[in-house]
Amino acid sequence: MQTVSQIIPAADKPRRVARVFGHTPFLAWLLGAAAAVLLEHLLGETFAGLVGLSKVPVLFGLMILMSKPLLFPGALLYVAVIYLLPLLCVAGLLTRPANLVAAALLRFGPAFAVIVHLALFYGVLHFWADISGYRELTVKFTLIAVLLTLSLNLINGYMGEFSCSHPGFMALGAYGASTFTLTLFVNNPLFGKALLPGFLGPWLFPLGLVFGGLLASLGALLIAIPSFKTRGDYLAIISLAFLFIVKSLLENLPFLGGPRGMGGQPDYAGLPVVFAWTAMGVWIMNNYVRSTLGKSLNAIRDDEAAAEAMSVDTRHTKMTAFMFAAFWAGVAGGLFAHVMRFINPATFGVQRLAEMLAMVYFGGLNSVYGSIVGAVSLNLLGEALRPLELFKWIFIPLLLILVMIFRPTGLLAFREFDAVRLVRPLDRDSQGGAP
Amino acid sequence: MRKIPYLLVAALVAGMICSPLAWSKTRPIKVGINAPITGDNPKVGEGTKFAAEMWLEDVMAAGGIMVGGVRYPVQLVIEDNEYKPESAVKATTKMVIEDEVLVLVGPQASSQAVPAGGVADSYATPMISPWSTNPNTTKDRPYVFRGCFLDPFQGPVVANFIKGEFGFTRAAVLYDVAADYSKGLAEEFKKAWEKINGPGSVVAYESFTTKDTDFSSQLTKIKNSTAEVIFTPQYYSEVALIVPQARDLGWSKPIVGSDSWGSADLVKLCGPACSGLFFSTHYAAAGAAGATKEFIDRYQAKFGYVPDDVGALTWDSLRIVQKAIENTGKLSGKIEQDRKAVRDAMAKIKEFEGITGKMTFTEDGDPIKCAVVVRITESGEFAFHKSVCP
Repeated sequence: MQTVSQIIPAADKPRRVARVFGHTPFLAWLLGAAAAVLLEHLLGETFAGLVGLSKVPVLFGLMILMSKPLLFPGALLYVAVIYLLPLLCVAGLLTRPANLVAAALLRFGPAFAVIVHLALFYGVLHFWADISGYRELTVKFTLIAVLLTLSLNLINGYMGEFSCSHPGFMALGAYGASTFTLTLFVNNPLFGKALLPGFLGPWLFPLGLVFGGLLASLGALLIAIPSFKTRGDYLAIISLAFLFIVKSLLENLPFLGGPRGMGGQPDYAGLPVVFAWTAMGVWIMNNYVRSTLGKSLNAIRDDEAAAEAMSVDTRHTKMTAFMFAAFWAGVAGGLFAHVMRFINPATFGVQRLAEMLAMVYFGGLNSVYGSIVGAVSLNLLGEALRPLELFKWIFIPLLLILVMIFRPTGLLAFREFDAVRLVRPLDRDSQGGAP
Repeated sequence: MRKIPYLLVAALVAGMICSPLAWSKTRPIKVGINAPITGDNPKVGEGTKFAAEMWLEDVMAAGGIMVGGVRYPVQLVIEDNEYKPESAVKATTKMVIEDEVLVLVGPQASSQAVPAGGVADSYATPMISPWSTNPNTTKDRPYVFRGCFLDPFQGPVVANFIKGEFGFTRAAVLYDVAADYSKGLAEEFKKAWEKINGPGSVVAYESFTTKDTDFSSQLTKIKNSTAEVIFTPQYYSEVALIVPQARDLGWSKPIVGSDSWGSADLVKLCGPACSGLFFSTHYAAAGAAGATKEFIDRYQAKFGYVPDDVGALTWDSLRIVQKAIENTGKLSGKIEQDRKAVRDAMAKIKEFEGITGKMTFTEDGDPIKCAVVVRITESGEFAFHKSVCP
């Protein structure tokens, strides 16, 4: 009898955890994260000293694991006490009130609820990144990677084509936006004196990004026209050729700096700007793939002839998707140029293409969640494995191979991303009695 | 089963007590090395790393760097920049903020040094790039220095050398249009040559793209022009293709190069076709004397090959860093203050005796130093031919 009574609670444990956290809404998790970040701001430095670390572990102690394994227990303890403990406590304690608040927010309309959540999420991210400039830089590059990955996923995942021209679009956006800001707001050797006063710069910067994006769309149009009749491998080859054309073009245009590149971009791409553009991009692209246009993309992927027969204008749909994806790649390129504050043609080569494809296929095809997961995990891994040097380039590809073997479409493929579903309350009353 | 949590806690505590930082006394001086260990040019990263390790060995053998009567131990923080600009930016930011390095050495190539220099300057951390020749690396950046001469200096050096040595009046240039270094230097050479010999004296100005391996069409054009000499500012791997191909096409006149030729692998790849040719560089390994010879011998004994200019320039840069730290007179322990002190001391360095020549920094943080013209001997050594000073 005794053994049985010992077994039952053990087997019951996951269920008990599910009972505690199963009804915890996203809002409560965000509040928990906010508490953790606040605690880090107040006590992070002191506690890090207490567990034998010289600084707050920058990326959840991942880097310490690789560079100084002896310090890893301390980093683990830090993550447990500063992040996990407040996260779980606050999320658990606030489950009921957060459910009520989430329900109240939804009453003002789904858009309002989503924006409040997004603002809270940004707050958490901002304070987390505030601890160190390195964190902030990593977050910025990761957000840009999310935008790039999702835009490539539109073509390679949702439309089912294999496009290799994305670094080219990114380059067009980067050079377009840089030319815009450098000509208008900065005195520089390439374009001479600034045409407008500098204080306008941050306000007109979105225009520069849109300009870069439109330039990339134009590039997409140029390559879409000759590739109407091609699919599969042939489109891949044409798009690869486009990538090389853009790169050589930029190398041979002396007024854009040639192979020496273009530097001195003004510092307009702070974390709020990058976050706002990424959030907007994800939102718009998510709406796009859930619209009729997006669904017809899937139809084309699965059977183009059948889609055509079912009244899908395939040519129009493909062209829109291509230009739309290129626009966001261009915006991401513009942001990238202003975070780096230097670009050269060699940055937008085949290696960048490989990175982007890896993020898309690692995260998952045809999925917004997948793109976010792919971009974030590969970016964090890339930073965390920095101390391994050469072995980093063995480990990451190995991981990719394993994912391709065990989940051929990526980690989180074919998921729909519904922001309203994400922010809804999870208690029984608001779900109409369903468990 | 119950004991596992307790064991875990015990292990954690033990780990913390054993951690080196729990009982360290004097805070070591951290020097950041930003090198392309992986990526397109791993040999550059290797040379950097080896020179840095040799330097660390020397410093630690002396017990550390002596500043104001206190010996500080030194710690190297080596980060890989993968020969990519954004990775160089990330590595620089990480070393400045997370590792709190006092001073940065590298990146080497301009495509990484230009953006990384911007980061170092904005965080007010002194940085010295041993090998970057692009003027933008240091321009308007008080915290950024370099250890080598610039293209606007090297171009005229080569032009003057050819004029003085051979008395030619018509030259041809063959360069990689996609590599910023080659293109920049080709332009500087053209400018200088036409200044000496009048406009139109560069009779052939031919280009190709990175990773091209067949140069016969460009070389035929050059051969059919009236050029008396070819100047090709290419990396050693391409030089080893260009020179034999030119010889096969019947070009028997001289071919002259720049500092990018100066790799131990050049002669191995190029063979006898390259012997007797001249190029300008930072130092000559064969026939070196004094400290330079000592460095070369030690490097060769330790790593098995004669160091190329990256290694020598990194060595000099690290010694400049060391001297600047010593010259501060006192380290306060406050990193921002010390970084500024090191920067000021570095800017004041005059007539520094490096193994690649005497150096004095200009306002922009660029050294005034001499270039060396070397001749590739029949036995494949780079022999000193003459020294050209500004």
